[in-house]
Amino acid sequence: MNSNQLKETIMKFVFLIFACFSIVAVIVICAFMFANGFPAMAKIGFGNFLLGTEWRPGQNLFGIFPMIVGSIYVTAGAMIIGVPIGLLCAVFLTFYCPKKLYAFVKPVVGLLAGIPSIVYGFFGLIIIVPIIQNVFGTGGKGVLTASILLGIMILPTIIEVSESSLRAVPKQYFEGSLALGATKERSIFKAVLVGGKSGVMSAVVLGLGRAIGETMAVIMVAGNQPAIPKSVLSGVRTLTSNIVLEMAYAADLHREALIATAVVLFVFILIINICLSMVKRRES
Amino acid sequence: MKKKILAIAMTALMVVGVAACGSSSSNSTTDSNSTDTAADTTADGMTGPISVISREEGSGTRGAFVELMGIVDDSDNDITTIDAEITNSTSVMLTTVAGNKQSIGYVSLGSLSDDVKAVKVDGVEASVDDIKNGSYSVSRPFLVAYKDGQLSELAQDYLKYILSADGQAIISENGYISVSDSAEAYTASGLSGKLVLAGSTSVSPVMEKLADAYKALNPDVTIEIQQTGSGAGITSAIEGVCDFGMSSRELKESEAAELKADQIALDGIAVIVNNENPTDDISSENIKNIYLGEVTNWEDVK
Repeated sequence: MNSNQLKETIMKFVFLIFACFSIVAVIVICAFMFANGFPAMAKIGFGNFLLGTEWRPGQNLFGIFPMIVGSIYVTAGAMIIGVPIGLLCAVFLTFYCPKKLYAFVKPVVGLLAGIPSIVYGFFGLIIIVPIIQNVFGTGGKGVLTASILLGIMILPTIIEVSESSLRAVPKQYFEGSLALGATKERSIFKAVLVGGKSGVMSAVVLGLGRAIGETMAVIMVAGNQPAIPKSVLSGVRTLTSNIVLEMAYAADLHREALIATAVVLFVFILIINICLSMVKRRES
Repeated sequence: MKKKILAIAMTALMVVGVAACGSSSSNSTTDSNSTDTAADTTADGMTGPISVISREEGSGTRGAFVELMGIVDDSDNDITTIDAEITNSTSVMLTTVAGNKQSIGYVSLGSLSDDVKAVKVDGVEASVDDIKNGSYSVSRPFLVAYKDGQLSELAQDYLKYILSADGQAIISENGYISVSDSAEAYTASGLSGKLVLAGSTSVSPVMEKLADAYKALNPDVTIEIQQTGSGAGITSAIEGVCDFGMSSRELKESEAAELKADQIALDGIAVIVNNENPTDDISSENIKNIYLGEVTNWEDVK
């Protein structure tokens, strides 16, 4: 082997090792969580844990159903607010935005993505909560507030990924549709968006992943009552908030129950990602 | 050209809509508040649903409050209503009550600020004098917990400082009640090293002042104070991660088996409401029922 071939082989191994780092990290996280989480769930009882409606660690009651429902409501709310706005904004940036405005808007969207989540939390506490208080006359914290805040937080993710996937659609789709006589709006929504469907779905799933895992911002605006929310304005506690609020002082079974909560969250994300890859596979 | 005009018109419409919506609703709420207080003849004049604010389960303030007010069931378990909003530190509790007109909460007396109003309980004001003479019963000890026999020399010296006349003077100056009036004076030891204290967000403010004064006398010492909550502080002390765990409630039996606790101060718990709430006095029975979730409107608080 001459020296070039040797260098090639060495570098191949170096890249392989770095790739293995990430795989090993994922495996270690999974192993730790499942090893600590499943025994706890077995001790509490799978039914009691996943479907129990009372979370009172002081009395050994570990039902996380209200938190599961809370996470689902808040994520769904964030999707309802974030996806249409994000998608339409991406359409605007790709097809309608004048170049000078684009040079201004694109970096601003990128800036939104970089703001730390605790800063979003303060923003929500100081600006959104009083608005909700004035408009609806409630305490101001709840599902609606958390959904609005999370919707704003996932906007940059959805906008950036959707925009790049829309730009990646071959120009022939758009121009061909225009040539056939369709209006610009119809061409975009019936030809380009359909062509960029898988990219847009990845954007939505990325946004979903961020919304379901968001913690610090939600803790400050959601109220954190461990009960199933009765209306859009009631307080809610998500799976992530539950872990953060109690991890510092939890002991024994309580701590294991919180790790089991993390396992449930992990399973949710796994399910969402598997659904996405199944849909993508059916596309191609 | 048409599209530009349309776009500008839409943005203008949205801005006007948000501004009008915001100002009209705040106008209407202030109008209804003023007519309510004018026409209302209940003792306090406060109307509307009660927003119950509580602390997280590991909070020493919550543990002491719940025990003193009797918000427990037959096995001494905390049964605060599940609709209570949870704030996870003393400062977030103060900010939340200051920002919510319908709210009621509880906070360490020494941390009380002008952003909120402390109400009288059974006609007794929450003040240091009323706690000392026993008429204000909602009070709890501040403890430092540590593993017996495993304290470093520096840690023992710091503990001696807190319990000395100088340390106790700092405690009295900050609105807490000192534990021993006839303590000895402290002489600087000149030791050096690092101390880590973790725990109650109620104890931390006065602990910071004690640490600063101690460091002024012994400049080679660094003291780190982590505000994690009483429960977390006690757990850290048991695990040996910190020198002292700060707690604002008595230790439970399981904790007392592992740690020794020294009382450094006595602190009252003030029941707080928003500054715009006209209520001045609430009976302890009412407070208990509010936190149990049985009384949900300010009109029902007599």
